[in-house]
Amino acid sequence: MRIGQLVTAVGVTGAMVMLSACSGSNAAEDGKTLTIVAWGGEDQKAHVRATAEAWAEENGITIKQDSPTDYAKLRAQVESGKVSWGAVEVEPNFAHTACDNGWAEKLDSSIDTSLLKDVEVTECAVPVLEYAFTIGYNTDTFAHDHPTTWAEFFDVEKFPGKRGFWKYATGAMFEAALLADGVKPEELYPLDIERAFEKLDTIKDQIVFYETGEQQQQLVSSGEAPLIQAWNGRIFSAAQAGQPVANEWNEHLVSYDQWIIPKGSAQAEVAQEWLAHYVKDLEGQAEYANATAYAPVSEGAMEFVDPEVAKELPTAPENAAKMSTVVDYAYWAEHYDEVSKRLSEWAAQ
Amino acid sequence: MTAAPAVDLRPAAPRGQHPGNLASQPSRSTRKRWFDGWGLLMLPLALFLLLVFVAPLALVLARSFTDPVTGLDNYRDFVSSSLYVDVLANTFRISGVVTLLTLVLGFPYAYLMTLATPFWRGVMLIVVLVPFWTSLLVRTFAWVLMLGDTGVVNQTLLGLGVVEEPIAMIRNSTGVIIGMVQVMLPYAVLPLFATMRSIDRRLLQAGEGLGARPMTAFWRIYAPLTLPGVAASCLLVFISSIGFYVTPALLGGPKDVMIGELIVQQLSGVLRWGFASALAVALLVVTAALLLLVARIVNVGKFMAGDR
Amino acid sequence: MRSRILVRAALAALATLTGIYLIAPVFFVVPTAFNDSPFLAFPPETWSLRWFGAYFADATWIASTLNSIKIGLLVTVLSSVLGTLAALAMVRGRYPVRAAVGGLVLAPILVPYVIVGLAVYAAFLRLGLTQTTLGFVLVHTALAVPFVVINVSSALYSYDRRLDLAAMNLGASPLTAFARVTLPIIAPSVAAGALFAFITSFDEVVTSIFLAGPDMTTLPVQMWSGVRVQIDPTVAAVSTLLLLITLSLFACAGLARALRNRRLNRG
Repeated sequence: MRIGQLVTAVGVTGAMVMLSACSGSNAAEDGKTLTIVAWGGEDQKAHVRATAEAWAEENGITIKQDSPTDYAKLRAQVESGKVSWGAVEVEPNFAHTACDNGWAEKLDSSIDTSLLKDVEVTECAVPVLEYAFTIGYNTDTFAHDHPTTWAEFFDVEKFPGKRGFWKYATGAMFEAALLADGVKPEELYPLDIERAFEKLDTIKDQIVFYETGEQQQQLVSSGEAPLIQAWNGRIFSAAQAGQPVANEWNEHLVSYDQWIIPKGSAQAEVAQEWLAHYVKDLEGQAEYANATAYAPVSEGAMEFVDPEVAKELPTAPENAAKMSTVVDYAYWAEHYDEVSKRLSEWAAQ
Repeated sequence: MTAAPAVDLRPAAPRGQHPGNLASQPSRSTRKRWFDGWGLLMLPLALFLLLVFVAPLALVLARSFTDPVTGLDNYRDFVSSSLYVDVLANTFRISGVVTLLTLVLGFPYAYLMTLATPFWRGVMLIVVLVPFWTSLLVRTFAWVLMLGDTGVVNQTLLGLGVVEEPIAMIRNSTGVIIGMVQVMLPYAVLPLFATMRSIDRRLLQAGEGLGARPMTAFWRIYAPLTLPGVAASCLLVFISSIGFYVTPALLGGPKDVMIGELIVQQLSGVLRWGFASALAVALLVVTAALLLLVARIVNVGKFMAGDR
Repeated sequence: MRSRILVRAALAALATLTGIYLIAPVFFVVPTAFNDSPFLAFPPETWSLRWFGAYFADATWIASTLNSIKIGLLVTVLSSVLGTLAALAMVRGRYPVRAAVGGLVLAPILVPYVIVGLAVYAAFLRLGLTQTTLGFVLVHTALAVPFVVINVSSALYSYDRRLDLAAMNLGASPLTAFARVTLPIIAPSVAAGALFAFITSFDEVVTSIFLAGPDMTTLPVQMWSGVRVQIDPTVAAVSTLLLLITLSLFACAGLARALRNRRLNRG
């Protein structure tokens, strides 16, 4: 009896939910919607708030957000011809690949790129933000003296302890290894991957890999890996939260993300309009920088950044002077696949 | 030997009651029919899976022969590098160990649940269900904090002077296994408990009444009756383990990569869909072969593989 | 007798350790939810309810929770029915190509979810089923149904079919015999399968990331969305809330049973 009642109850509930599910329908899409896609979380919310909301209200556009960016999803949308995304934040090597394969719209001249760095602009993409791969270190472990060059980062005699690297081909570990081995920054690309592996071999038993920002922060602040090739913003926010960590800016590598518009997007036009606004929205970019410690990409935006945050950005003049180079994502677009595989093989040995 | 009559008391032992016995023997005249009444009940699920699951999947897996060029290049790539074969082997090794450990921990736990008072049974059930409600993400990160060199466990051991150096419990297979067994345990305990609950414990008393020692009675009478539950939980745990990638990525070292992670990387990272599909096909073929082999040997998994 | 007590004690000790192992992460998750820090830090330095506030203040979190519950319930019903029928066919019935069908039923757990996700996404884009309840329910049911089949078929294997024969000899129709005799006996396994089905749907992230979008998302997708950058401690708060709800449901059920027993005893 009780089982029977249970089955009936479950069935009735199910039928009711099914009915309610079918009655709901998606809001009709018109040309005045922009779907912004990024990596998600608080970061993305802050980003849209700072750079899109005011603009959208002014122009009568509805902003939708989707996350996280998923390249497989983007390709599937383009292939099926049903593209629901407008502007998508991607890594620059993917932006190159997407442009070459015809998965991204070419940007038109309404976007004024004069305030941007040439290296960060392509036919299909404009930059979103900048960040840096720095030497992150634990200030308790290295209270007096810490590594200030990649050569010292690789010197396990002088600075004993585990080293953390992002287990990701484009995570700049190869660049760091070659710089440590004496390659000049301007001669870095094309990377000598053999040589980089040889250098990495010298400290292999001291290397700890991380996969997420969370792990990175935990490794360095707990002292488990007192040295880490870090994302500057991650170290900065950990330091702000009172953890014993700091960025060493010397020889840092600059990286960035890019916006692309998927090919065939119904929102291509409105996305172009927004990007045209984005690259000139100095205050919006600065507001986002203040919230997340990612650097703005347009010249002049730094003026509007809170000085406390500004000194922790790669775009601050005193930090920029210490830069070794900008990561060359055109190189990575071509070699990511093969180097990824070699990295997995090397790590598994 | 004393156990034998006890089994006869209740021919529900796995061997004694093969489904075919009741269903097919009286139906000699219908032997040529494809379906009988019960068999028709398979149709809704089979049709559902063909439409929702197989059809879309076939389109993607077919890409392993066509993307980027038509041919067997993707499969050649797969066998030409020791990386992929090693990762596949590693995947099965870890899944096997995880299955064994969940059984070793889950069996006594489920057995104790059948002996416990209703209150304690409820408590034990809640404990099993708790992991379901803690997001895998947070749970995995919790292990990182607990088991790391500077984590709670190592700090305690160091503080007590049990060890001199922190024990490496994450970024190696140990970490992966600790994380995965915890995730999979509920999937082992519940089927075991459900099976054990339906076993008549008086069989044990009967066996002992006929002179069997308690241990003998347990292993000769009770344990065989739990076999369907054991098979179900092992099968669930093993095939679920094969697809894991978040736990190995966060708790394992570079040597503990599992095939799921490589497939994700190929599919979402570098967009080599043809190769990702080839990896999936290889995984399916090897797993199917392995399951069939195990079913042959152990003879308990055969209800899934078909036994006519 | 002595050895029986020893064995029981050893069992209890092993089960206690297993239990501690199962719930250990909770002792991390719950305090983290009350931590004021924007990181998943442990142990918390400043206590606060800000992540619970963040959860309730954000319509997306609430909507995705409700979506997940709705989808989970539908998946539970659909996969329990389909799975139980299939298990009956598997154990008692005759149908062609048994080995292939057995493989078909297991395949959804075995095929890496990311491949399934891409496959159904490509198909559902064309059918307009992405970002719909129906789309999620279809995919999650496919993933969940093997759990039901495995659980129920293992129960049917240990089921003594002479009980049905006895019932039918006493005049019950086959359907009545099934509903009144078979079903109550295999009910724990059906329940276990149904629970796994609900959890499979409720926790599913990989295929859901494909199907979700701004018009419709689920709780796990929401939890994973920012993970590349930083885990949002709201995730810990959500886990804590879910734990509290589950525990109170259990407490209510236990209380109800205790009350009923008392009434029965009096009467």
